[in-house]
Amino acid sequence: MWSSPPSARRLVVVTGVTIAALVAAMVGGLVIGPTPISTWRLVGDAASHLGLGHSTLSALQSTIVWQLRAPRMVLGLLAGAMLAVAGATYQGVFRNPLADPYLLGVAAGAGLGATLAIVHVADVAAVPNWTPLLAFAGALLAVSATWVIGGRRLRSTSATLVLAGVAVSALFTSAQTFLQQQSSTQSIARVYIWLLGSLATASWHSVLLVVPYVAVCVTVCVMAARALDIMSVGEEEARSLGVSVRTVRLVVIAASSLGTAAIVSVVGLIGFVGIIVPHIVRLLVGTSYRRIVPLSVLAGAALLVLCDTVARTVMAPSELPLGVVTAIIGAPVFVVVLSVRRTRTS
Amino acid sequence: MSPTTAPIVQLNRVSVRVGSTTLIHEVTADVAGGSWCTIIGPNGAGKTSLVGAITGLRRAASGTVRIDGRDVATLRERERARLVAYVPQHPELPAGMAVEEYVMLGRVAFHGVLRAPSSHDRDVVDDVLARMELTDFRGRDGASLSGGERQRMVLARALAQSTKVVVLDEPITGLDVRHQMDVLELLSKEVVECGLTVIATLHDLTLAGLFTDRLILLHQGRVVDDGPASDVLRSPELARCYGTTLRVVDVDGRDVVVAIRAGDTTTGG
Repeated sequence: MWSSPPSARRLVVVTGVTIAALVAAMVGGLVIGPTPISTWRLVGDAASHLGLGHSTLSALQSTIVWQLRAPRMVLGLLAGAMLAVAGATYQGVFRNPLADPYLLGVAAGAGLGATLAIVHVADVAAVPNWTPLLAFAGALLAVSATWVIGGRRLRSTSATLVLAGVAVSALFTSAQTFLQQQSSTQSIARVYIWLLGSLATASWHSVLLVVPYVAVCVTVCVMAARALDIMSVGEEEARSLGVSVRTVRLVVIAASSLGTAAIVSVVGLIGFVGIIVPHIVRLLVGTSYRRIVPLSVLAGAALLVLCDTVARTVMAPSELPLGVVTAIIGAPVFVVVLSVRRTRTS
Repeated sequence: MSPTTAPIVQLNRVSVRVGSTTLIHEVTADVAGGSWCTIIGPNGAGKTSLVGAITGLRRAASGTVRIDGRDVATLRERERARLVAYVPQHPELPAGMAVEEYVMLGRVAFHGVLRAPSSHDRDVVDDVLARMELTDFRGRDGASLSGGERQRMVLARALAQSTKVVVLDEPITGLDVRHQMDVLELLSKEVVECGLTVIATLHDLTLAGLFTDRLILLHQGRVVDDGPASDVLRSPELARCYGTTLRVVDVDGRDVVVAIRAGDTTTGG
């Protein structure tokens, strides 16, 4: 039998399930932890803040929920949404299923920036508080270098840009390795921990720092979804259809990279979400970016908050690196979706 | 067929270069509105490069291409897509895209990349689907169609652009003879009934002669011959360009071009 694109009904079901998972992950992110709090008491407390009834939570419990877990959960939502959307749009604009948000050098640039900040504060045990600033600057510098080398000219293609990204990443990574090799063992350990990514240092302050970037960048990416659908016929054909491929490429790459740089500078390098979430969504709802991009926002947010809850509870009081958990949870989910889709289509 | 006399496509000393290699050398030609002009020539003659220059997708190193009086090099992508539609030799078919949605891509130049198609866009697509006999396939995954259906779908996308000129690069490659005829007949109908101007490249000289008002013979980037199909097919230049012996046979008043094997000395035809 001939195939047809996924139905509208499937889309409604998948969207519903994703929203439910997102809500569950958000609630879980607030109530699960070394100090368990029942969902009903949490709801009562939230209502009391709105002037409805009175809370049954102690002051300590209230602080744990609203000053520790809530900002961490919100930062997880923002990071998951941004990384997943950046991955989806990168895959669209490069028409390459292996593209992830770190393709053009964001990770290598942020890594170099953070390493510079950390190794130059020799005697402080903690990561210096201007690390995010240098990581952000490094990430933007790396992507800009990639664009200037590989994407500026009219005739340059996505392939040139990806190769430029490889070259720039290699350069920044080698500089970072050199810095690490020259520094003390303690700072190597701190750099390593930073690179693995974590939401442990989340605060309302860090949430406020990244919210504007994520809001603007995610909006731009969602608006660009139709253009990405058209680009799926290839760059030359998209041009013949009246699309300014160069403008679309510039806008999408700028938005995805800026948002990713902001996130990475605050939470470090969280792998896997950016590459796997768009693929899971694609397997479920088909190849249209008008479906993939908005659903990746929801699914990425849900997956990262879920993973963070696991990361901070399974070995409490110590934490697992978030990047490890996203891979441990994300990979099997991906394999299940892949095999279910295979058996259904064969 | 009654082509309008004013030229709708004007090529004036168009050259195309890649690095220091000249692919197209000062080609000058006018194509009348509502006519079908086919570019023929051996592999490597520069047909695809010339087509690229006409559609504005490839920048001419020198010379100008005017469509409907406008220089394509100075137009923005969106304006150009409303003047000339292009069917590439190997169109990319995105997996999982329905036929209807694929044909709707031809309307992007009208609704823009940020807006959804208007009801007028939908009407145009409905009409084109009907003309290309694709209405029954509209919900199917385009990548699952047979070769002939697929080519009609790509043609439909180009027609959905509602341009006066459609440029096609080898539109019947890989199709069996019946589907080749189907595609060319559908195109011919657009020329005759809707006044469409078609510029195509074709390898099959017999079909080129059968459907076309005019042939342009290209060899090593230069126009070697240009004129009515029956004249160009009988030109001694034709065999020279292709580097093989060719003979034109008259079958019921139609020209059939036959290649002759070296050593076959039978005469006639």
